Amino acid sequence: MKIEPVPVLSPFRGFSAFLWTEVLVQAHENLAMATSMVVQGVLLVFVWILDPALIGVALVGAILFSMFAMGQRVLNEAAYVRIDHKANDLYLAGPLSPEAYFLGMSAGILVVYIAPVVILWVLAIEVVHFSVAVGLLLLALSACVWLFAASVGYVFSTFFRDNRAIWAYSSLFFNVFGVLPPVFYPFGKFPEALRPVVLLMPPSAAAAIVQQAIGATTLTSGQLLLASAGLAVETVAIFVFAIYWARRTVREN
Amino acid sequence: MTEEALRAEQLRKVYTTRGAPPVEALAGVSMVVHRGERVALLGRNGAGKTTFLRIASTLLRPTSGTIEVFGQDVSRTPERVRPYIAVVPQEGKPFFHLTPREQVYTYLRARGISRETAKARTEDALERMGLNDFADRLAITLSGGQRQRTMVATVMATEAPLLFLDEPTIGMDPFARRAVWDSFRTLSTRGSTILLTTHYLDEAEALSHRLYIVEHGRVLQSGTSDDLKRSVGGTLKVSLPGGAALEESFRSFGSVIEGEHLTVIVAPERLGELMDLAVRSKITATVGPVTLEEAFLRVVGRSIDED
Repeated sequence: MKIEPVPVLSPFRGFSAFLWTEVLVQAHENLAMATSMVVQGVLLVFVWILDPALIGVALVGAILFSMFAMGQRVLNEAAYVRIDHKANDLYLAGPLSPEAYFLGMSAGILVVYIAPVVILWVLAIEVVHFSVAVGLLLLALSACVWLFAASVGYVFSTFFRDNRAIWAYSSLFFNVFGVLPPVFYPFGKFPEALRPVVLLMPPSAAAAIVQQAIGATTLTSGQLLLASAGLAVETVAIFVFAIYWARRTVREN
Repeated sequence: MTEEALRAEQLRKVYTTRGAPPVEALAGVSMVVHRGERVALLGRNGAGKTTFLRIASTLLRPTSGTIEVFGQDVSRTPERVRPYIAVVPQEGKPFFHLTPREQVYTYLRARGISRETAKARTEDALERMGLNDFADRLAITLSGGQRQRTMVATVMATEAPLLFLDEPTIGMDPFARRAVWDSFRTLSTRGSTILLTTHYLDEAEALSHRLYIVEHGRVLQSGTSDDLKRSVGGTLKVSLPGGAALEESFRSFGSVIEGEHLTVIVAPERLGELMDLAVRSKITATVGPVTLEEAFLRVVGRSIDED
């Protein structure tokens, strides 16, 4: 057998193939796709009962929350594959790059779980009647929220040695950041003193920006700057860290 | 490129956990594996076999020492080693929500193997592992042995130059184990090098060109299985239930292995004499060839199954 020297390696080698692997894995669990909408569905019903006028805000919030909740799926999947299956060893002790493993898994989950989000988009367009520009803004913010959540999810997945611990912490984390702050309800209803805090949380920052764009909330220029800059900086920083961490954690100490 | 597939020099690994004393899992292991060889690391649970394999396969950092795969430094440039290797992790499982066919094929694609080649190798690996009847069932519905066969098929299909197999046949029935052994032999005749860990003595003997007996993170002995068996001091073993009373007399024929029964290792030329004594003493004697079990017991001082 001739052993050829290793050529220059692309940092994302194997990405599309591993993405497809994850799509197949997730697509075989079609019930999970339906249950991924339970929290959003329940909260939409609550909002509808409490104040039907806020359903547009809640629908936009549900889209952002759905993107954020995909981070929880990345966390659970990455930890499960590593702890229960040890399949990360199978993949990472090979030519597939660690970056492609992290991003392929995250994007595979996105591809499958985006299907129910499309329903929310259709409903939001029907109820809110937003412009193309607002639609594009919502799309960009959704992408930021997803990238942030997937990166956090992957990094956190490496800290655990037991799946049972993850179940408790992951739902706590994603509910505290995604349900409690003003994502499903207007930013203006949140206590004034704590508003800067929620503007630094990516899901509520994104929600506040969209609410401003559809006229459901009025942000000061300082608040808009804080939300936009905070979201951009946090997303880029955690994504870069997740790439570094994916490389770092291939080998245990 | 070197003719050596793997070279380790004085490899040490110390696990440190906060609040617990450090554990030395490898205490200076040196080893050379040549291309095309099948080498087994044989040892009891906790001997350090998996630690060595994980370091060699770029998944664990060593504390000190050096290790190279095809001349590439595993510690410094693991990314240049990974394209050459494939690993069956200990207790690794396929994705439960993939079928064996999907598992093997998508894994090959993720390694950058072309669609046509991946498809052909997938079918070949499924056939060789006897997985055709289950190839389109989700792994979650398969038995433990079938899942393990899927893992082995996945890694075998890579035809990687160096395969690391950590307890590859655990949970398999005897027929499946033999199918796996045949496949490994075929792979090595095609040029792949195989380094496996096992605590099945028959597997180590049947599969490997050379063996390393590992205990407490050290290589205690290495060589072919015949070398190891010869080192016991004879080629025949005589089991003498009820012979303990005459242990001193039997000891004069060769080395004695402590155990449930008195067992004496003898050279064939002294067998007649020993059997005469057994008959005269009205002691039942069973004669058989020395196996790796005796070699292991002599080298390690304990049975491979003993915790």
